[in-house]
Amino acid sequence: MKLIKCVRHAFDMVVHSKLRSWLTILGIVIGVAAVIAIGSLGSGLQSNINQQLSSLGGDLLTITAGHSRGGNIFTMRGPGREGGGFDASSTQSADAPALTRTDVQALRGMPDIMTIDTQIRGSVKVTYQDKTGTISLTGVDQRFWSQITTETLLEGRMLGPADQNVVVIGSRLASSYFTHPVGINQMITIGNSAFRVVGILDDQSTSIYMPLQMAYQVIDDKTNGVYDTIIVRIRDQDLLDETIAKIDNKMMLARHVTDKTKDFTITSRAQAQETRAATMQTMNMFLMAIAAVSLIVGSVGIANTMFTSVMEKTKEIGIMKAIGARNKDIMLIFLLNAGLIGLVGGLLGIFFGTILSGMLPALMGNVGFFRSGATVSLHAMLVALAVSIGVGVLAGIIPAYQASRLKPVDALRFE
Amino acid sequence: MIPKQASPILQLDDVWKIYKMGQVQVPALRGVSISIDTGDFVAIIGASGSGKSTMMNLIGCLDLPTKGKVLLKGNDIAQLSESDLATFRGQTIGFIFQQYNLIQSMTALQNVLLPLEFLEIPDRKAHERALEILDLVGLADKIYHLPSQLSGGQQQRVSIARCLAADPEIILADEPTGALDSETGKQILTMMQRLWKEQGKTVIMVTHDLHWAEFARTRITLKDGLVLHHK
Repeated sequence: MKLIKCVRHAFDMVVHSKLRSWLTILGIVIGVAAVIAIGSLGSGLQSNINQQLSSLGGDLLTITAGHSRGGNIFTMRGPGREGGGFDASSTQSADAPALTRTDVQALRGMPDIMTIDTQIRGSVKVTYQDKTGTISLTGVDQRFWSQITTETLLEGRMLGPADQNVVVIGSRLASSYFTHPVGINQMITIGNSAFRVVGILDDQSTSIYMPLQMAYQVIDDKTNGVYDTIIVRIRDQDLLDETIAKIDNKMMLARHVTDKTKDFTITSRAQAQETRAATMQTMNMFLMAIAAVSLIVGSVGIANTMFTSVMEKTKEIGIMKAIGARNKDIMLIFLLNAGLIGLVGGLLGIFFGTILSGMLPALMGNVGFFRSGATVSLHAMLVALAVSIGVGVLAGIIPAYQASRLKPVDALRFE
Repeated sequence: MIPKQASPILQLDDVWKIYKMGQVQVPALRGVSISIDTGDFVAIIGASGSGKSTMMNLIGCLDLPTKGKVLLKGNDIAQLSESDLATFRGQTIGFIFQQYNLIQSMTALQNVLLPLEFLEIPDRKAHERALEILDLVGLADKIYHLPSQLSGGQQQRVSIARCLAADPEIILADEPTGALDSETGKQILTMMQRLWKEQGKTVIMVTHDLHWAEFARTRITLKDGLVLHHK
């Protein structure tokens, strides 16, 4: 029998046992949809992380005072948050030797470094019209900050070299923190001084950035010339590890410390993101494995349906054999039937999986990593389709072989 | 490979068929030797348990003998591979069953097309042939009916059409009138007689009813797995 005829007979078999076929297909749909949704979510997060890695400060290093003997501590930050991925206050102990101008001088002489920004951070009282609140403020070296920051502007401009009593604020602070929205060129009071807002960042934060010298005046307990954080932009991101090692050596020399007495930490956003990417990948593989189990359960369903189908069609197999069907014709019809169930299950699974992966960010509460959404690649679809057909055919092999080996005389006698 | 035609068309040479029922061996045929000539109309007659169904299965190449030889057109069917035997069966023998054995999910036309599909006859030719045969059996207006929408007699005529589709040399009928009333049974038998007389088919009919056996030219009577008469 020609292949196309076998396909038609296999299709008729699917159509003529509607309920059973659809229930079997449902098993595959669930498996494939789960694999697609989880796989696409994983690849969505992965591409998001890669994007951050390449565009958002992969070439930035953050140096902070204090050192954790247990290794580097990475604090994850989403895109658009300043600070270089390390929260100074969490590890810097009170007696840790601070970062000073000496350190900055040492770094300035290094050809591997393009730009150096020094920062201090603290909480301040901010008043606008009738409302006052305590907000985290960052003092930055305004000559370099605009070159080093990963923030983007919603409105206005960044800090400039000649700026004094001006600030750049986060968009949430501007739009909804106070009773009335804060616009460009409006004045807010920080401590006892008035500052003009020159820029609003596109970051949904309540952060405030101001020139370093002004920050020393408004944040309590800060000494001029002592920094919480030094952020450097390196010249070549491909030489990240080598550059970190060089900076490490230079800083140890400048601060007269050894590996054992080290009192500072260098963290790289790229390294932090790579670690995060690796963790995500492991988690993704684990979830994929769970989803794959449901696909295996679906394939058992196909095998079950096929055995029932062979039993039910024993007489028909006998008739077909009596009128000239060869073993391979029968085998092919049943295998194609199983493959078709896999194919339909796979197609529907991809359809629902794609919808599900589009809805996942909303289902996860639109928070954290899941905000990035998910993408279903053509490659993933083709693999899912091939796997579902393969699973169908594999599950159908034994029943199809059993059907093909039926003796016509026995099959005809079957009632 | 399809062997050359030989005369007689079918020979059973000391054929035994023994069924194993647990520890007990039950012989259904006990050393039967018969010869059927090309173009003959043969009725195999016997009561229930006489071995006629077993003989029909062997003649139809649906089963193999325990001992002895079944020669169809000079070929020992036990020597053919399963695949060759299936093709040989499809080309040489057309079956008519007591319960029609039509595929219930297929229309009359699809049922008649089925043997032609197994023989890989081109679509258009197969379609023309199926329509021609269905017209011959008087069902030209019922080609898209499912078996469940047809009467017993009509279903048996579809079964005859299916049997004739591949233009076989032998028509093998197992109690073809068993499920029909006598008037319809007579029509079916008359149709088979016409196939024998007008188209030169070799017709072999298994029946327990002596009345229907009258339509045949040769009658072989079986009893307890042995040939009682052959005339």
